[in-house]
Amino acid sequence: MKRKYIYISAPLALAAVVILFACNKKFLNRQPIGLLSPTTLSNAHGVQSMLIGAYSLLDGEGGNNSGWGSAASNWTYGDVAADNAYKGSTPSDQGDVQNLQLWNANSANGYPPQKWDAMYDGIQRANDVLRTLKAANANDMSASDTILARAQAVFLRAFYHFELVRVFKHIPFVDESVTFAANDYNVPNVDGSGNFINPMPKIEADFQYAMQYLPATWNGDKGRANKYAAEAFLAKCYMYDQNYSGAIPLLGDLMVNGETASGDRYALQKNYFNNFNADPTAKNTSESVFAAQMSVNDGSAAATNQQGNPNGNYGDALNFPYNGGPGACCGFDNPSQDLADAYKTDPATGLPLLDGSFETGGHVIARGTWAGTLDPRIDFVMGRPGIPYLDWGPHPGDAWIRDTLNDGHFNPKKNVYALSQKTTLADNSSTYWAAVELTADNVNLIRYSDVMLWMAECQVQTSGDLGTAEALVDSVRSRAANPAYWTYINNDGTAPTFNATSYSYTQKPGTTIPADNYKIGLYPTGTFAANGAAYALKAIQFERRLEFAMEGQRFFDLQRWDFGSPGSMAAVLNNYVKVTAPLRPAFIGATFVQGKSELFPIPQNQIDIENEQGKINLKQNPGY
Amino acid sequence: MPSKTNTALPGLLLIACMLFFSPAFAQKMVSGRVLNQTDNSPIASATIQIKGTRGAAVSGADGSFTIKVPNDNSTLVISAIGFESVEYPVAGRSTLGDISLKVGNNTLNDVIVTGYTAQKKKDITGSVAIVNVDEMKQTPAGTVENMLQGQAAGVTVINSGAPGGGSNFRIRGITSLGNTDPLIIIDGIRAGINDINPDDIESIQVLKDAGAAAIYGVSGSNGVIIVTTKKGRGKAKISYDGYVGSQQPLKGYNLANPQETANAIWAQQINDGLPPSNVQYGNGATPVLPDYITPTNGHAGDSMTSPSKYVFDPGGLDDNRITKANKAGTNWWKTIFSPAIMQQHTLSASGSTEKTNYFFSINYLDQKGTLLGTYLKRYGVRANTVFNVKDHIRVGENAYVFYKQNPGFTNQNEGNTISYSYREQPIIPIYDIEGNFAGTGSKGLGNSQNPYADAVRSLNNKSNDWQMVGNVFAEVDFLKHFTARTQFGGNVDNYYYWYFTYTGYENAEGNTNSNGYTESSGYNSNWTYTNTLKYSNTFGNHSIAVLLGQEANSFYGRSLSASRGTYYTTDPNFWTLNAGAPASQTNSGGVYTNNTLSSYFGRLDYTYNDKYIIALTMRRDGSSYFGSAVQYGNFPSVTGAWRISSEDFMKDVTWINDLKIRGGWGKLGSLSNVPLYNQYTLFNQFASNSYYDITGASTSSQLGLYNSQLAGPATTWEKDVTTNLGFDATILSNKLDVSFDWYNKSINGLLFRPSVPATVGGATPPFINLGNITNKGVELSVTYHGQAGRDVKFDIGGEISAYRNKILALAGGNKYVDEFSAGSSRINAFSRAEIGHSIGEFFGYKVVGYFQDSADIAKSPTQDGAYPGLFKYADINHSGAIGDSDRTFIGNPNPKFTYGFNLHVAYKAFDVSAFFYGSYGNSVFNYIKYWIDFPQVFEGAISKDAVYNSWRPDNLNPKVPRLSTKANFSNTQQVNSWYVESGSYLRLKQLQIGYTLPKSVLQQFGIDKMRFYVQGTNLFTITKYTGLDPELQASDLGNNSNFGIDFGNYPSNQKSFYVGAQLTF
Repeated sequence: MKRKYIYISAPLALAAVVILFACNKKFLNRQPIGLLSPTTLSNAHGVQSMLIGAYSLLDGEGGNNSGWGSAASNWTYGDVAADNAYKGSTPSDQGDVQNLQLWNANSANGYPPQKWDAMYDGIQRANDVLRTLKAANANDMSASDTILARAQAVFLRAFYHFELVRVFKHIPFVDESVTFAANDYNVPNVDGSGNFINPMPKIEADFQYAMQYLPATWNGDKGRANKYAAEAFLAKCYMYDQNYSGAIPLLGDLMVNGETASGDRYALQKNYFNNFNADPTAKNTSESVFAAQMSVNDGSAAATNQQGNPNGNYGDALNFPYNGGPGACCGFDNPSQDLADAYKTDPATGLPLLDGSFETGGHVIARGTWAGTLDPRIDFVMGRPGIPYLDWGPHPGDAWIRDTLNDGHFNPKKNVYALSQKTTLADNSSTYWAAVELTADNVNLIRYSDVMLWMAECQVQTSGDLGTAEALVDSVRSRAANPAYWTYINNDGTAPTFNATSYSYTQKPGTTIPADNYKIGLYPTGTFAANGAAYALKAIQFERRLEFAMEGQRFFDLQRWDFGSPGSMAAVLNNYVKVTAPLRPAFIGATFVQGKSELFPIPQNQIDIENEQGKINLKQNPGY
Repeated sequence: MPSKTNTALPGLLLIACMLFFSPAFAQKMVSGRVLNQTDNSPIASATIQIKGTRGAAVSGADGSFTIKVPNDNSTLVISAIGFESVEYPVAGRSTLGDISLKVGNNTLNDVIVTGYTAQKKKDITGSVAIVNVDEMKQTPAGTVENMLQGQAAGVTVINSGAPGGGSNFRIRGITSLGNTDPLIIIDGIRAGINDINPDDIESIQVLKDAGAAAIYGVSGSNGVIIVTTKKGRGKAKISYDGYVGSQQPLKGYNLANPQETANAIWAQQINDGLPPSNVQYGNGATPVLPDYITPTNGHAGDSMTSPSKYVFDPGGLDDNRITKANKAGTNWWKTIFSPAIMQQHTLSASGSTEKTNYFFSINYLDQKGTLLGTYLKRYGVRANTVFNVKDHIRVGENAYVFYKQNPGFTNQNEGNTISYSYREQPIIPIYDIEGNFAGTGSKGLGNSQNPYADAVRSLNNKSNDWQMVGNVFAEVDFLKHFTARTQFGGNVDNYYYWYFTYTGYENAEGNTNSNGYTESSGYNSNWTYTNTLKYSNTFGNHSIAVLLGQEANSFYGRSLSASRGTYYTTDPNFWTLNAGAPASQTNSGGVYTNNTLSSYFGRLDYTYNDKYIIALTMRRDGSSYFGSAVQYGNFPSVTGAWRISSEDFMKDVTWINDLKIRGGWGKLGSLSNVPLYNQYTLFNQFASNSYYDITGASTSSQLGLYNSQLAGPATTWEKDVTTNLGFDATILSNKLDVSFDWYNKSINGLLFRPSVPATVGGATPPFINLGNITNKGVELSVTYHGQAGRDVKFDIGGEISAYRNKILALAGGNKYVDEFSAGSSRINAFSRAEIGHSIGEFFGYKVVGYFQDSADIAKSPTQDGAYPGLFKYADINHSGAIGDSDRTFIGNPNPKFTYGFNLHVAYKAFDVSAFFYGSYGNSVFNYIKYWIDFPQVFEGAISKDAVYNSWRPDNLNPKVPRLSTKANFSNTQQVNSWYVESGSYLRLKQLQIGYTLPKSVLQQFGIDKMRFYVQGTNLFTITKYTGLDPELQASDLGNNSNFGIDFGNYPSNQKSFYVGAQLTF
């Protein structure tokens, strides 16, 4: 009998176990740990957090395929591909940028896809907010908060689209209806007849909505888009559309009523250089219409071994002196000789050499090598041999240049930090490869001087008031002309004290002298009127180059001027090749092709994917 | 849907049990003795089994046995390894006397463990490779994975020289772009094969086709490796097995000395029409090596070279770390590679009695790598025991516990010490004059790092791992033909490591980064609960075996990591998290494994008259990876075999001893690399991805969320369908064993992450079922057992495997996917997965030669950067211009075939064995040439080829293009066929000579066996490859989409020499 129990109990036990597991359906139901589901987020808190996530790509980094090619500063497209900067480093390092610099990039180049992918990531993050609003509103989100969130989301969506328009022009507009689940993601950039669709009306509609519903100020959140930021971007869109008469009322309103998200009335800062200071008190000033906020030592750098790029100014992480000074890597984005020479001024008037003569008669290199006079802004834009490099001492010259043959003699200056800011406003993580090149420097997306110079441009383009235009240009120049904030050096060539909070050099009569022979003058009243619209336009355009050099603007300025005056961009840049090739052999044979090189190629892999089913959804830009 | 079947199954089981219920018979004891027919010596450990039942006994050291038989008509089946088994009727006797067994080469009756069950080799219908464990163990290596290379037909293993480093492990070709590691089952438990002690292994079987592996369902598609560890058998014995030896490093790369390097830098500039100059080598007609590299281009007597002017201030303007030029040249390879000791010792005790059997072992492995700072140390203890509690009940356990230290080495990466050894210029000495490290911080010498400094700084990093693998089980025999088994087992792995990041002050880059310290830990655990019920019976000529089972698996793992920076001192005694600067602290953690698998399976084996064999298996798997509607998959297989040799018409064919034709079809599933939670739409928060400093505070950011993953609710199992045909033959008086297989393995509904346009956003799209791959292949293994004269016995065995891999479809309707490598991507993707091609094929421009002169350029298709002496690419699309669409497939890293070849010769007390391994027809991408053949690439060290054999008007057929300062489309920027070389090789993996002391001598010391041997490994490699070693792993072992690329591989072909001993008493 006893044995029989064993015979029976064994299969019974087995059967019991089988039943146990068969009934335990939960066994195969493993819920995600440490991650959030859409239902958890369908409320006010979820929407606000998703909105922060959408803002976070303003720095260009941390999104899909983001990298130096999606930098908020657009240094590769805006300065290297224009006449302001050389790629830097050695020729093979980031070879894709070499191709951008020489306008021979093809559609497989690795940099434009970074911009493309990261911006659409930002667009869909904004769309995620829009998609969640209805459910959140049904839960705990108030109607007014819903509108505020919607207005911010459409602002961001418009911003990211506009960034794409500047680089590629012919881009698909992706609204909140486009999702993976809906399988409608092969959004075309062409209509049924194969003509490019202009995305600008939709972008402008988004900015208009944002302008209408956003508040003027945000309580303490300096980085949020306000009504005037939206208005300024709408004006900027109109500038790209050559809709100058449309822009004028917007710019006028901004100049009269415009204020920052923290309530400061728009105005130029007294100290030009302070616009590039990472100190929290120097950021988001009255001049900062809208900026990409950067932060360091917030845990984002140490965590990058997993994914993403840190919240410091990663986009410009390569753009530091090589092997010394701040960063110690990587020697990219070296200001060009042509840019340095552009800061020559007329020794009598202190005005820029609009006739192009700055490109002849010797070069501006080290302190004192140019016998003539210089616009003082040169030494805020570039590190030059012998000139104090913030508080790092006088720039040591070619010791900070990786390859003088290709890279010239200058280092970028606007994106770096002062020695006294090291480890506080530069990252001090150790697990990241170049922590010291992550700075808290904001990237200014629109500075107030931009607004002023646009207005000047509009006045000229609409046959408006040349006197107003001249006054605006002069007020930008007069700020730079204030000797209180120039770069100073001690008599013996050593560097004077640099105050990193005010971003200015200490002056001591008898000991300190201006670091070079600065002379900057204003256009005497009536100069524009006397010389006519063409002269005025040239003066404004030249002023923009000097004012915004190394801020990623130059290529796009040339581009939009070219839309109004086809061929002008090719003329400028092929002339740049002519003066540069004798100095930098890489430029020998380089050609800017009119009708092609004004735009960057739409990434080939995107074209391949979107057109895979046979229908042409995405059409390549002309010439590529 | 699944619940219906699930609840029905146990009911069926019970009914089945009832049907076979019948009263027990009276039983009696029978005894006897098993002897060797040749010399009448007793055979220990012979198995005495009652035919048609589970009842069995094992003979003792004197060959004697007793066994309880159900009745007087019972028949005993007596078998022992190395002997032909016999059937012996009891015929009413209680004493059977001596039973002699004939020595046989025939292994057909060997019992092979094939997953949840064991079969005689002759009854196997699927494709199963049986690894000869003794041969395998002859290759000294830290991991069993390494040893398996060439040991089983159809199994490809690609190793590196890194101690404890993983291998690319593939069974029957590449079945996935992701991980292709087979399922490893150790004593019924899913576990890793890497850390098991090879001396503990009793047997290894490789289940290759669906017929064999379908019982493992979803987990079996990459093949299954079944490892069984040793059991005690026969009289108590103690064994020692050990060896000690030394590995010799290779000679390294063929690099130029400082003067040659300088000459090449001059040639670059002269070729470009520039006046040559260099910050270190001066200017003028010829370069002059400086006496000092800091101060830059310093010369003896310069005031700044006076030791009193030494200033240590990295990154600062006053920095003057005076560094003498090493004019003779530093051989960086030699600074980091040196001979390395390896030793392994195993001591085991084992034995069996009627009531128990036990195996106990302790193991110590110490494998130093030839590369400074790499090593594997392992201490392991194993205890396997079985208790026969009652006649019908057995309980037992297998347990293995080990502790290992194995600091990781990121092999195949441009940023590791091996790569720095060919990138750091030789003029740089190891140290400056004060004994601080020297490096590229001295101007104009590129951006490499001092590899010796990097290696030395890693020496105090620690990596610890504790693991416990094991199971407990109980088996009950009942109703004569049934056995029920329940087993619970698993694996617990705890790891803990820490490392210090030094400020590489001597380097050109990162020389002012703060130092830092990181400490990380985590654990993995998994458990498997398996219940099976077996029935076996024989009715006349019909033999039937049924297996039903149920299994549940659960996997879980989590980790955490923290770091701080800005340590006051780099003294290892100071390395705790508390000691760093609090402001720099970071921490992270998460769950990285969290899934379950629930399974039911069954198997039916039917044999008619030993001639016709059919096996059916069915498995139903449910996985937490998939949504509830598509969670379950069914995986059937059917296989059959026909033993022709047993047919009457074959009776006269005497040269065939055994011939069996096998065939089968089966469907397997795979989870492939499906990410956790693939079925869900998820949002994540990650500081660098989604946080934003919305207040402008500069040093803090606010939490933000982003959509991290899109849902794939309909995604389900990948289905792998395999058809297999083969035969096993034993011919020529059992002297020759031949086994052949042909297979067609097609993967349908390949789990694949589709390429979606950027318009979808940044969230990762889910894996979906799209894409098909086929692998077709053949495998042949042949073994010959021979004898020459009286004293010479020899065995020769070989295996050859060939597969052809082809992509039939890709996800999202894509025609191709460019596959980037984790090792480096400076010239874009090396390989492309394209429909109609094999996985891993290299894709780029085809170099047709060098542009000879401007006339040549003028008549050639337009090409960016075209210049005499630079690459001339083929105009594949005949457009007259070289562009993207001229790229083509330029090499295939998949071998045409691989082969292994074993030789054993025994002459009296001496034995010699050798093992050759080879790979034929595979291409290698020699990416090292990018770094050392182009001086303009980061201004690093350069090859002698670049110095002496670059293009010049008087050297039109060079190895290296014209030297230039430029980097463009026609020299450094593109993947092209110039890098591709033949990777075929043949290697003598090991040669061993052993001597076994005569028994007569040993017996007086009570020793049963004593053998000594000397051994050499990797004594030669025949290859045309110009790099160090053509055996190249993927830079990421979990990604099979690109491989065969040389980034500076830790070579696995280093010669080594060992002495070893085996002792049993």
